[in-house]
Parts: sequence; C-alpha cells; structure tokens
Amino acid sequence: MTDATNDPTHSGGGRKSLYVQDPRTKRRAAAEKRFRAYGIGAIATGMLFLVVLITSIVWNGIPAFTQTFITVQVALPEEKLDKSGARDLAVMKKVSTFGYAPLVDTALVAALDENGVENPYPKAKRLRALISASAAAQVRDTVLANPDLIGTTQEFRLLASSRVDGYLKGRVSRDSIARDKNIDAEHLDIIDALRTAGLVKRIFNWDFIFGADASESRPESAGIGVSMVGSLFMMLVVLGLSLPIGVAAAIYLEEFASRNRFADIVEVNISNLAAVPSIVFGILGLSIYIQLMHLPSSAPLVGGLVLTLMTLPRIIIPARAALTAVPPSIREAALGVGASKMQTVMHHVLPLAMPGILTGVIIGMAQALGETAPLLLIGMVGFIATNYPENFIEGFMSPNSAMPAQIYEWSKRADPAYYERAWGGIILLLVFLMAMNILAVLLRRRFERRW
Amino acid sequence: MKDNNIEGRLLVDQRDLKFKARDVQVYYGDNHAIKDVSVDILDKTVTAFIGPSGCGKSTFLRCLNRMNDTIPICRVEGDIQLDGEDINAPEVDPVQLRARVGMVFQKPNPFPKSIYDNIAYGPRIHGLARNKAELDEIVEQSLRRGALWDEVKDRLQEPGTGLSGGQQQRLCIARAVATHPEVLLMDEPCSALDPIATAQVEELIDELRQNFSVVIVTHSMQQAARVSQKTAFFHLGNLVEYDDTDTIFTNPQDPRTESYITGRIG
Repeated sequence: MTDATNDPTHSGGGRKSLYVQDPRTKRRAAAEKRFRAYGIGAIATGMLFLVVLITSIVWNGIPAFTQTFITVQVALPEEKLDKSGARDLAVMKKVSTFGYAPLVDTALVAALDENGVENPYPKAKRLRALISASAAAQVRDTVLANPDLIGTTQEFRLLASSRVDGYLKGRVSRDSIARDKNIDAEHLDIIDALRTAGLVKRIFNWDFIFGADASESRPESAGIGVSMVGSLFMMLVVLGLSLPIGVAAAIYLEEFASRNRFADIVEVNISNLAAVPSIVFGILGLSIYIQLMHLPSSAPLVGGLVLTLMTLPRIIIPARAALTAVPPSIREAALGVGASKMQTVMHHVLPLAMPGILTGVIIGMAQALGETAPLLLIGMVGFIATNYPENFIEGFMSPNSAMPAQIYEWSKRADPAYYERAWGGIILLLVFLMAMNILAVLLRRRFERRW
Repeated sequence: MKDNNIEGRLLVDQRDLKFKARDVQVYYGDNHAIKDVSVDILDKTVTAFIGPSGCGKSTFLRCLNRMNDTIPICRVEGDIQLDGEDINAPEVDPVQLRARVGMVFQKPNPFPKSIYDNIAYGPRIHGLARNKAELDEIVEQSLRRGALWDEVKDRLQEPGTGLSGGQQQRLCIARAVATHPEVLLMDEPCSALDPIATAQVEELIDELRQNFSVVIVTHSMQQAARVSQKTAFFHLGNLVEYDDTDTIFTNPQDPRTESYITGRIG
C-alpha cells in the first residue's frame, strides 16, 4: 500500500514476473548475504581465538599438575638423629636438615647400587642434583611427626629436582643442559635407569593445588594453595562489603532518590568509576588504608578493601538495571494495596530483581578475583606466601598473596619450571571463574523457579 | 459557582457521600492536565468516568488514592475529602489511605506469587489477621467476593500469574477487596480482557456495589451504561457533565457530551 511505485497497476509498466528479481531486490538480497557473511566471519574469528587460548593454556599448564618423584629407602639411624634415645622432640629438633641430607645421599647411592645402576660420582653429594632441595626437610618432617620411625629404614617418595622433572616432561633435554651447572648428562643417565627400575614416577601433584609458594631455587615444591586462601579471604571482604553497600546504593538511587542535579552527578560519577583503571584504586588503597589508616600491608583485608572500591560501581550499575527491569505494574500493585514504599521494594521489587543483581555481583566478584594491578601497589605481589594463616583473623590480617598475583610472580621468575606453574595457576584461576559463573547461572535459575 | 452548580443539581444526601472533590487541579510539569474538577462520589454506587483518550479521567481517578504521588513531576491542588477528611493533608500517610481506597489497574498485575499470597499480602501488611485461620478466612472471603473461589480453591498455592487474563483481573479485584476498603477504584479494568471475561468482571462489579463505592474508568460507553449508576464525562481535563447514567446517555445537557456519546468526538 505504502510502496505504491512497486505496484505495477499504478506504475503503468507491464506486470513483472515473480521469478525474475528486479535489480533493487537483488541488491538488497546481496547486502543481507554480505552481512551474514560478516557475522559468521566475526564469530568464527572469535571462536578461533578462544580455541587458541584454551589450547595453549591447557597445553602449557597441564604439566604443572604432575610432578616427578623418586622412591628410595632411607635408613634412619638412632645415633645420628637422636643420640640420647629419649625421643625428646625438643632435643631431636636440634638435628637440622644438614643432619638429614647425608642420610638421603646414602639412600640414593644405595638405590643405585641395588638396581645395578652405574654411579659415576665418587661423592654422594653430587647425586643431590636429582632431588629437590626440600627432600631432606621432607624426611625430617616425617621423622619429627613420628619419632618411632628412628632406627628403622623407611620408604620415602622424594620430590625430584625441577631439572629431572623437566626432563620427564620434555622441558629439559640433553642439548639444553649442556651449559647448565645444576645437572649433568650423567644425572639423566641415572634417571633413565631408575625409571626403567620403576623408582622414578610422574604422579598427580596435590601440592601444586594445596601447597605454599617456594623460593626461587625450588620450583618443584611451589604451590598455589596459600595464595588461593589469600584470594578467598579477599573475596570474603569484597562480598561482605560490596553486596550490601552496592545493593543499598542501587536501591536508593533507583527507588528513593529524587531526580535532580545531584542524582545526575552521582549517576555520572558511578559510571565513570566503573571505567577507572584498577591501578588507580590500588594507589588509593595504598595511600588511604596503609599510609593513613596503618592497616597491615600485603594483608587480604586491605586487598579486599581495595577490590571492593573497584567492584562497587560494577555491582551498582547492573543492580540498578535489574531494578529498572522490574515492571512498574508490580510497584503499582503493591502500592495499590497499601504497601509502603519500603515494603514495595523489599517484598516485591528486590526479590524480582535479585537474579539480575546476583549475576552482577558474581561477575563483579569474578573480575575482582582476576584483578592483579591494584595488588601490586599494596604489596601482595613479590611476597612469598609460605604459610597457611593460623586462624580466621590471621587469614585477613597476615601477609598473603592472591592467585593472579602469584601467577604474575611466577611468570617473572627465571626458572622455566616456574613458567609452567604460571600456566597451571591460570588453569586453576579459570576453573574458579567458571565455577563462579556456573554458580551465577544456578542461583538465577533457582530464584526464577520460585516465582 | 461550580460548587453550587453541582450540589444544586445532584441534591446529594451528605450521609451517602464518600468522596467530595472540589476545584481539583493536576499539573504534569507545565501541563495542566485536570482543570477545576469538582465531583461527589456516593457510597454503594458505581460511578463511571468516561471520555476520550487523554481527557484526564485516569489521572483524576489516581488522585483519589494519591497514586499520583509516585510520579515526581505530578502536582495536585484542590480539596479532596474522604468521609469529610482531607486526603492531601500533610499528616495523612498515603499507605493508610490506600488501604481504605483499593485500586484495580488496566492490565492485570498479580504478584508473581501464589494465589493465596496475592490475596494475603494486603491483610498481612495491614495486620488484619491475628492468625493463620483468620487469614485463611479473609482469603476465602475475598476470593468469593472476587467470584474466583470456585475456580481456584483447589490450587491456592499455584502462581497467580498462571491464571487466564480474566481470572488474573478477578484475582486483582479480590486482592483489592481483601484489605476491606470502602472505595474501589478501577482503571479500565476490562480493556485487556476478552468479551466473556469482561462480562464476568462487569457482573462482579455489580455485586461489589452492595459493599463498596466503586469508581470505574472506562473507554466503553456501553460498559458505563451497563454497570454504573452515575457517570462523569471528562473532556480535555474538564469535567463536562456529571449526572445519573440514564440521564447522561439519554438526555445529556452539554453538547460535548452528546457529541461524544453519539460518536462524533473521541
């Protein structure tokens, strides 16, 4: 009707066949086809990058979850470990790892002899390149935990050194160790022989997930567990502060505040805050929380406070959107039966907006979990997180690291074994982010079912 | 002048008077939406507001339970009294007013909760029931008044949003009735309903007249003629004519009213 010129009876031209496309229709069809091709191309490119990303992360990171161990029989002679024979722990503790190291050396030599492996080293000490520097401490800890073991010979599964581990994982080759002072080709010969004998094994490494970070020279015993706890405590702070503050702010702005210039200014500023680079919040946290309020640096409490600042606008904006999306008819219905403004919001609007708000909160938390830059400035990077916090309060107050900070820290270290661990850490971080997103979806579904 | 005009014409018995509005003005920002409206609304009577779109009939209706308070740019002037009390007095909490003046909206808007909770919500927040048994009683009574009880008595825990459109609107009427209001305001309650549901709601409105004063805004002149005893005709923010429904439809005084009911304007 409106397109009268296309109507043949009006245009005066002869009746056209439907089987023949006029040029205009052809152009429109071609434009649509082109647009579809662009769309498919864009999605394909995106998918390609995603596949490359996931593949490289998995490829590089999966080896971090296994670790090489060497099984040896370590004799624990009484005259070396507890001369008095009283099994008094205080006395036994005086024997340091230097007292235990020779026992491990002896055990290694014995293991080589037993399995008929040629030992090119006259000095047993040279065999220490095979095992982690923490092996002696491992034996000592076991003995102190169970003094009855003294005087017996026990089987220990000792952590192999990172070079040996790398050799089994293909990271270290005979060519690459040519100029490496830490390990010789002979060591690798020994490992090959012990592997045939079944004493060297690569097994799943729980210590990577639950263990603590280690010094630069012992990548084989470094784990992300303690910094995971740091992240957990930070997230508790973020959740505990940003959920109530963010939701209350969103409710006030959306439902109660009158629309005036002040409200406009607040609104613009919240939007701007969401776009402020996170490192700005880091330096703000440094100056306010640490320099002004003298809160402990490197503490998850401060990290959580800084990330709360960063997360708040990212929660307020989606929370407001979720509140706006609740149909006004619901508000009218509640007001119509005599509910107060507050009751209308709390009984009807907020429950309906909750799925949207929760999604915003969880996505805000996920962003905070992956945030590294502000942690740089409050000292949560570069700190070697060696101990689990002793209790709940310590968890907030004692220095710790966080998962992304730990990953950043590992990626800076020289040993390629740490590079592998950084990738492994990223896998864990992504697992947590995915778990949070799945939680968001589940919560949303659960709430929606209730209504 | 206008006062005399209306009171002189209607000879209202003050005991039957529910709402008394005098010289009501409503502004939306700079827009003068309601001009000098004076009207008396009687108890146990259905009063219909008719008029073309945008004539201000819904706006005026919303003045009666102060729903216009929720619109920031809206300003109401003039005197509106419910049982002789000024509803716009500063000490009046609109929450209490709305418990006495219930409202039913154009589009059925049940809460996304169970049928039971939809009805029980009002009585709960106003503390009308001391225990569960009393609340059950109110719910049943309200659903009966809303002519919905027989259809839903076996599924009170199912969501109110799962009912058909007509049932939803009757649920909303039952919900409004549950707080024991004195006046029921209905803003085009049938405009989203099919003819059968409309007939049911109209029948219900006629029954409600025994207990409440009902004010209904409608686009349909037939509906006004069917359900109401009094009719007010609004045009461009003015109350043009207010009289017995029969008089309005058979012998209108104002030429504008006549034009509207004969279909020449609107």
